[in-house]
Amino acid sequence: MIPTLYTRRRIVNVINLTFSILAMVFGLFWLFWILFTLFDKGLSGISIALFTQMTPAPGSTGGLLNAIAGSLVMVTLATLIGTPIGIMAGTYLAEFGQRGWLASTTRFINDILLSAPSIVIGLFIYTVYVAKVGHFSGWAGALALSLIVIPVVVRTTEDMLRLIPDSLREAAAALGAPQWKVVTLITWRASKVGIMTGILLAIARISGETAPLLFTALNNQFWSADMNRPMANLPVVIFQFAMSPYEYWQELAWTGALLITLSVLGLNIAARFFLRKHTLSN
Amino acid sequence: MSKIHSAEKLKKQLLLDLIFRKTTWFFTLIVFALLAVIIGSLLIGSMPAIKAFGFDFLFSADWNPVTEKFGALVPIIGTLITSMIALSIGIPVSFGIALFLTELSPPWLRRPLGTAIELLAGIPSIIYGMWGLFVFAPLFAQYIQPWLQNTLGEVPGIGLLFEGSFMGIGMLTAGIILAIMVIPFIAAVMRDVFEVVPPMLKESAYALGATTWEVIWNVVLPYTKIGVVGGIMLGFGRALGETMAVTFVIGNAHQLHASLFMPGNSIASALANEFTEADGELYTSALIELGLILFFITFVVLACSKMLLAQLRKREGNAS
Amino acid sequence: MNINHTQAAVSKVTIHDLNFFYDRYHALKSINMSILEKKITAFIGPSGCGKSTLLRTFNRMYQLYPSQEARGEIKIDGANILDKKQDLNILRAKVGMVFQKPTPFPMSIFDNVAFGVKLYETLNRCELAERVEWALHKAALWEEVKDKLNQSGTSLSGGQQQRLCIARTIAVKPEVVLLDEPTSALDPISTARIEDLIFKLKEDYTIVIVTHNMQQAARVSDYTAYMYLGELIEFGDTDTIFTTPKQKATEDYITGKFG
Repeated sequence: MIPTLYTRRRIVNVINLTFSILAMVFGLFWLFWILFTLFDKGLSGISIALFTQMTPAPGSTGGLLNAIAGSLVMVTLATLIGTPIGIMAGTYLAEFGQRGWLASTTRFINDILLSAPSIVIGLFIYTVYVAKVGHFSGWAGALALSLIVIPVVVRTTEDMLRLIPDSLREAAAALGAPQWKVVTLITWRASKVGIMTGILLAIARISGETAPLLFTALNNQFWSADMNRPMANLPVVIFQFAMSPYEYWQELAWTGALLITLSVLGLNIAARFFLRKHTLSN
Repeated sequence: MSKIHSAEKLKKQLLLDLIFRKTTWFFTLIVFALLAVIIGSLLIGSMPAIKAFGFDFLFSADWNPVTEKFGALVPIIGTLITSMIALSIGIPVSFGIALFLTELSPPWLRRPLGTAIELLAGIPSIIYGMWGLFVFAPLFAQYIQPWLQNTLGEVPGIGLLFEGSFMGIGMLTAGIILAIMVIPFIAAVMRDVFEVVPPMLKESAYALGATTWEVIWNVVLPYTKIGVVGGIMLGFGRALGETMAVTFVIGNAHQLHASLFMPGNSIASALANEFTEADGELYTSALIELGLILFFITFVVLACSKMLLAQLRKREGNAS
Repeated sequence: MNINHTQAAVSKVTIHDLNFFYDRYHALKSINMSILEKKITAFIGPSGCGKSTLLRTFNRMYQLYPSQEARGEIKIDGANILDKKQDLNILRAKVGMVFQKPTPFPMSIFDNVAFGVKLYETLNRCELAERVEWALHKAALWEEVKDKLNQSGTSLSGGQQQRLCIARTIAVKPEVVLLDEPTSALDPISTARIEDLIFKLKEDYTIVIVTHNMQQAARVSDYTAYMYLGELIEFGDTDTIFTTPKQKATEDYITGKFG
């Protein structure tokens, strides 16, 4: 009796643990397959032309210069708009918001915004801005992206500031420093690396976002430095080219996809690396 | 000494303190207000559609830009079904991965594998979409779909889910791609809650002669169940809102079918495909209302997830 | 504590040249010892002396952690449990353990006690209920919980939770019961009740208890082992150890010269 019950238990144990290993392999399998596909289909398109020529019309050749530039501009702008808001709000939540309704509700709201569908963000900017001014624009795109930056930066700023022990703040206060100096000169400086990491992660996140740009910046086949006009960007270009029937466009789409993925993953890894190095040295 | 200086300086510092605090408060207010503003503007934008269709909008399967009759049923069902498929595949796999990372993996392998899974989360949605359409779908149509139809397709009842031709794209494909996308999120939360189970509790179970699986299933899982559910809802919330990946592979058809092999639509993919082409106030407004519905659904799911995870954190605080 | 000299003292657990390593750190050095059957043996010594480490080798609990290793021989009823072929789960069904902090499982009181039993025996509902009741009686907890067996194990007080853990361990009818500082997290009244309990359990089980409380060892145990820095300094019957220890080091510890 005991042998059979025990044997059955052992079999169940082995089966489930094997399943666990298989699940891990399953996850890794997709990661490697996707990465492999990107390199396989996109690597051949990497050339000087990619970075010097504009997106081509159907039938002709070209590069992704305007798309890359547009993306860089909008990502930078979004970061410049969203980061200060995020840092200030995160600072309030960590330093001044221990009690009170505003802090706890905002934290909750921030977490909702963090995981909200990005297409809805795009829709929102469309209704309040694009529809009002009557045309798509680079500004709209940057605004939409900034709304995605803000929750990420708020969250990481608050988390990083909370990690700083109160004893540090108290030491500064004991020297007679006013609170605003304690926060800006001491606490911010102490959590500098963590906050930078948060910004990097936010940049990584918005670099790959397509949906918010669909109804805001739209796309532009030509070079345009006018932020008030539709602006070319990498994700939407990839979307259009991939769904098109033109082979050359599809190839460009794969190369663009490779570019985006490398930057996003690179930023992710860099952010985690710096954060780990910083936390370890503490 | 310089008493006058001190008094003036003090006043200035207090003023700066006040300014600083008020500024941070102001920016927090912006974030706080964002949610209300978003919901408000979407409501305003949906007004024409709400006035035209009322509650029937939620239950109508019409979608005709010409006659201007719109209904949200097809996209809503599409969103829900693809997310359900994603969860039914994603939850067991995430559980397996979390189990592996916390109990089975040799310590030196833990961080690289954990990072690898997190990279899956970092890959942009559009990449999943392209890969799904051009690489996965053809293979799916060639090998997996026939196999499914020959096995599960023969089972009465369930068989209806697997009827039809092998197009590669469709609801099932979208659900599978979504599963791969949500696995890193759910697995990360599960791993985090598994890791903080007190070792003494697990040892107590081992000390009675329980196998590793029995310890996980009977002790770790019940102990962490609140966090696990919170993580699942987080994954659910993300699946509901995913746009680009779904848009590429769902087939974009405003029809309801029993079979998962058939194309369909989700709210996000309908928006992505049709919004820029939509002309006419009612058409645009209907689409905006779709967006509002999606936001509402994800809001509810995410709010539940947040509350569960917060409850867990409170419990941890009390227990220790 | 009087030891019944009329019964032949049989060795239940024989330890021969046991060495233990946490990675490179040599935690137990050449331990030789005999734990006698149906007696209570206490391990005492200052923090870090290795008493818990030694205890945890008896059910190979250290095996959960890859950097820990034991070498030597530990024979229970003649069979070396450190042998690679030894099945760990079966060993742990024979050698039970109660921990420093009460660890009720997240399930009902009944299910807590039944957990171990269900792993190794197929009993019908009646038999299982009987076993649970029996174990709770043995652990002096039955009267307090008999009306709330379906309530969660975590709803009990600290002392009750620890008695629940003891009931859980007893329910599988082990041969050896290991207690790792079982009362260190409890108040004096709960401690006294559990000490009484341990003393009664001696009739059926071989008991090894680790305690940092010397008085507890003196109250409860038949034999005492004094350890220091990973070595077994002295082993003997409790009376002798506490009144006329052979080693000066033992005497220094007992009299509180350090600790």
